[in-house]
Amino acid sequence: MSTDTQSVKVWDPFVRVFHWSLIVLFGIAWWSGENHDMERHKQAGYAIFALVVFRVFWGFAGSRTARFAQFLKGPGAVMAYLKTHDGETPSDGHNPLGGWSVAALLAVILTITLAGLFAVDVDGIESGPLADWVSFDSGRVASEWHEAVFKAALAVIGLHILAIGYYQVLNAHNLIGPMITGKRDRGKNEVGGEAVEDVKWSPVMALIGIAGVGALTWAVMSGFRFG
Amino acid sequence: MTRARPILIAAALAALVAGGAASIAASPADTIAARQANFKKMGGAMKALKDELGGGADKAKLLAAARTLAATARTQWVLFTPGTGPSSGVKTDALPVIWTQKGAFDAASAKLVAEADKLVGIAGSGDTAAVLAQFKAVGGTCGACHKQFRAED
Repeated sequence: MSTDTQSVKVWDPFVRVFHWSLIVLFGIAWWSGENHDMERHKQAGYAIFALVVFRVFWGFAGSRTARFAQFLKGPGAVMAYLKTHDGETPSDGHNPLGGWSVAALLAVILTITLAGLFAVDVDGIESGPLADWVSFDSGRVASEWHEAVFKAALAVIGLHILAIGYYQVLNAHNLIGPMITGKRDRGKNEVGGEAVEDVKWSPVMALIGIAGVGALTWAVMSGFRFG
Repeated sequence: MTRARPILIAAALAALVAGGAASIAASPADTIAARQANFKKMGGAMKALKDELGGGADKAKLLAAARTLAATARTQWVLFTPGTGPSSGVKTDALPVIWTQKGAFDAASAKLVAEADKLVGIAGSGDTAAVLAQFKAVGGTCGACHKQFRAED
């Protein structure tokens, strides 16, 4: 890359595809759930399961800014960020507060998905693919969790959107563009600041992740009953 | 004949007293709790049917679940006595329309019993496709009735 470049790659393609497809699928799952279209609801659920499991894997094997170790920091770092952040200096990847928001989003969506796998509807007619491993009563409890944690997820998503709005409007930091293109413009005041080299990812790790997640999702869809 | 009458009257009176005592004992809360227990039983039977149809399709298990369903459906119907709706103050998803449209509700209940009986008739046949089709017919009556008479969670 030439030296006069003013942009840096901050999000790898997997993080970006994960992010935007999760939004679409979450919407489909929500809509189909409200309308009792269980066939579509389940398909969206399986896709969300695959995405979130892949994202967790990518949190250990992905690019620099995708890794949990890079963005999940202790309470000290979060407090320091809250005190010193001036709205000028962008973080490399998720900021110390936003990192925990990502973890919370992943946790609630994974919990909804896992509960959904065991959920049984009130009539005992519709159920998740793993519901035959649990009793009707346990399946009903899973169903209640599925719904309660969904409401929690809406709250966390609301906070996420508010935070983006805060940076966008009050700090004039465009966070949405980089999540689409992967690139962020480097401000002049950043030169010589924190590490801002382009993110790199391993195609081998990506293939391992896709293959593993594909196999796991297929197993879940078949209820772990083979043959 | 004339001698038998006092006995008949006594028996009728005893039945009335016993019946009256029973209806006094069954508070709306008890009736609603019994209903809910029955619905859980039917839900459990439906799940057992579904699990079997999606897996082993064990004839004995299918038949047992179908019988539980049909028997429970019969006892369920009579538990929707007047005064056991939401106006009783007890938490229930039973909508007041059950009592204002009793005819439609009773017809829906009878439909469930009829479809459940059909399921009992074929559950042990080993014809999984037919059992599955009838399971869906039963499920249709659950859903249709709940749509009209049950509060959405």
